[in-house]
Amino acid sequence: MPKVVFHHHGDTSTVVEADAGSNVMRAAVQNGVAGIVGECGGQAMCATCHVYVRESHLGALPPISEDEEEMLDCTAAPRDDRRSRLGCQLTLGEGLEEVEVDVPGAQL
Amino acid sequence: MTVDTTEARPIPAADWVTIPDLYEDPYPIYQRLRAQAPIHWVPAVNRYLVIGYEACHAIELDQQRFSADEAQSLMKRSMGHSMLRKDDPEHDVERKAYGGVLRPKAIKQRWEAVFDRNYATYAARLRAAGPGADLVAEFAAPYAAENLRVVLGFSNATQQDLQRWSQTLIDGTGNYADDPQVWAAAERSSREVDEAVDEMLPALRAEPDGSLLSVLATSGMPLDSVRANLKMTIGGGLNEPRDALATTVWALLAHPGQLASVRSAGRWSDAFEESIRWVAPISMYPREATRDTELCGMAIPRGARLGVVVGAANRDPGVFADPDAYDVDRPRKPHLAFGGGNHFCAGAWIARASVVSIALPRLFAQFPGLRLAPSRPATIGGWVFRGVLSLPVHWD
Repeated sequence: MPKVVFHHHGDTSTVVEADAGSNVMRAAVQNGVAGIVGECGGQAMCATCHVYVRESHLGALPPISEDEEEMLDCTAAPRDDRRSRLGCQLTLGEGLEEVEVDVPGAQL
Repeated sequence: MTVDTTEARPIPAADWVTIPDLYEDPYPIYQRLRAQAPIHWVPAVNRYLVIGYEACHAIELDQQRFSADEAQSLMKRSMGHSMLRKDDPEHDVERKAYGGVLRPKAIKQRWEAVFDRNYATYAARLRAAGPGADLVAEFAAPYAAENLRVVLGFSNATQQDLQRWSQTLIDGTGNYADDPQVWAAAERSSREVDEAVDEMLPALRAEPDGSLLSVLATSGMPLDSVRANLKMTIGGGLNEPRDALATTVWALLAHPGQLASVRSAGRWSDAFEESIRWVAPISMYPREATRDTELCGMAIPRGARLGVVVGAANRDPGVFADPDAYDVDRPRKPHLAFGGGNHFCAGAWIARASVVSIALPRLFAQFPGLRLAPSRPATIGGWVFRGVLSLPVHWD
């Protein structure tokens, strides 16, 4: 089963498993992971599932769509040009069996 | 997912709740209901009212159990069958057809300049009306209406038309008292919108202008759906920014200490988000249970007509401390004023751009000494849709 590791401020982390075809936002919301909101349900519309993907996983990510690109300019925490992504756009499963992300300090 | 409902608590009935009392001030009613349960059967509105934050949020995220496509919908009768009363995948197809029209990139490239121009027009109108003027009638309403008219692409209508259409269609959607005059006005507006849409579509196909109608004209969306979705967007697209703007101004003028803090640090976004938490412009929307199920330990029968009262959820003391207070400094938590899940408000960024980035900072900068009229208090009303109805103001 695909696995997501959410690293929080202060060295704590949450590990959750999710079905293939799910995504990083949904995995967080379904497991009550703190710091991921996902207001719009995954339409790249609200920028409240912002994550910083850890370097070692950057190569496995899908490209950033136009919708995600404009939303990444609307995040509450500062955008990181390399690592910022919307969790809802990171589909788990083939090619992304495991991913580690840092949870930003704010989503709202 | 099958849910065993045998252990669930029955839902209490609240036969003492009346529509006029809800319209006047629903919050004490929600407070009294909340002490007993997060869900109540309310005969006066013929619905189960869901008032707890957790319960409202759970419904938003679960269209399998709680469908937006309810039978005997007042909104369908008033506006036709828009995407707001559909579930995915049908909803998603129509939502995607809106494309980027209401998103931040188009706002920056196209709509900010429109909002800018409209601010100047209606700020001048407010100034001309002079101290004592009603900020809702002279500014918030026409500003929101003219912004919406341009974004939607109705070059064959006026902002006054948009205001009339929006109000009468919304009145139909909230016509729980089944008033025949309300239905007659809604039907008249519905016909007028149909005619305006039908006239604009070929013109915009010939000369696209980036407006919503222009994009829908070439989207392949069936005409009935275009008409219904436009009516839904006229409803929500006008009253949300109008009421959010007026409520924020009212709240800040009533709390001078917070106004000072907001002004000095440019915290207009905090002021706006807190005001729509405090008084959600769209305070209640319907869902229908698709099966016998359980929510927050309570048994909900299949076919139950639910009212998701986000206006009450936003004042749930389990989530927001001292929830009846307007407090721009409260810890930021997700409020439900824009809804959540797949029906999350498509116009959220338009509202933020027109109200937070333009109207609020400029009003407070350009009307020094803006204050509530001492002898004429603001009037507030509504429960399905709630907002400041009139806001007499003075300035120096």
